[in-house]
Amino acid sequence: MKPNQTDLVGEYLHEVELRLSGLPLLQRRELLADLAAHIETERAERNVQSDGELIEILERLGSPEVVAAAAYEEAGGARPAATASAQATYLPPPGMPAAPAAPKRYGWIFAALAAVGVVVVLCLGGALATFRSEGPPEPASPAEYATPADPTSPATPPSAAHSAPPATPPSARTP
Amino acid sequence: MYLAAQGTLLRMAEGAQLASGLRRGTLEFCVLAMVEYEDRYGTEIVRRLAEEKTLAATEGTIYPLLSRLRRGGLMDTKWAESPNGPPRRYYSLTPSGRSALANFRTEWVSFRLTVDRLVGTGEIA
Repeated sequence: MKPNQTDLVGEYLHEVELRLSGLPLLQRRELLADLAAHIETERAERNVQSDGELIEILERLGSPEVVAAAAYEEAGGARPAATASAQATYLPPPGMPAAPAAPKRYGWIFAALAAVGVVVVLCLGGALATFRSEGPPEPASPAEYATPADPTSPATPPSAAHSAPPATPPSARTP
Repeated sequence: MYLAAQGTLLRMAEGAQLASGLRRGTLEFCVLAMVEYEDRYGTEIVRRLAEEKTLAATEGTIYPLLSRLRRGGLMDTKWAESPNGPPRRYYSLTPSGRSALANFRTEWVSFRLTVDRLVGTGEIA
């Protein structure tokens, strides 16, 4: 087993665990042990070597949000104790099991809108900067392209990740 | 075009909701039936159910269900060594699991017949 594969599995299990804080200790431990055993069994029986195959196993298991939501549902309506944390937003309201799947489908729209917003702001900023420097017209046009392009790619994923989860619950209810 | 795409998304969401509504209350008996004649380990049960596209059950969501069935006394578990991998957790049907399954079979047949009659799906089946 390669070290980065151990990291991947550990990270996945950790992400699940983070979302189980409202469950009784033993149920939480049981689920994590079951998931860990599942991953190990799949790896051994399918003779998994590559990271890609390992990721497939984790994808089939489902996202940490979906697995945790099922755990709460099967726990008999147990609500997350630490509802103050932002993780509560990942859980569907009681009696709406399809909710975890639905927001995902709308999430990208908001992520895309957020990304477009970031690009627009950066472009305006870049244009403004070049407008102010006015002096040399030669470097102005390359700067206009270079300035927004560089910060955009690193800036987009975090902003999308931040805006998507809070934006999704209302969208699921709109229809 | 945006509206059309949103309509499709809505229908997909409704389809998922219908599937999950139908799954609720029936999937557990599919699990119990799987261990009726022989004990099976977790990964085996989970893989088998996830193969059924109609059930649309994500693998990781079945473990909490197995846990509930065990806590409810319908299944027992024991860990055992495996010839080619990590230890396996085997599930078996308890006597009360067996009677719950028998009861479901009776209930399900009359339930299905009633729905077929009311919805008009009887001739298809």
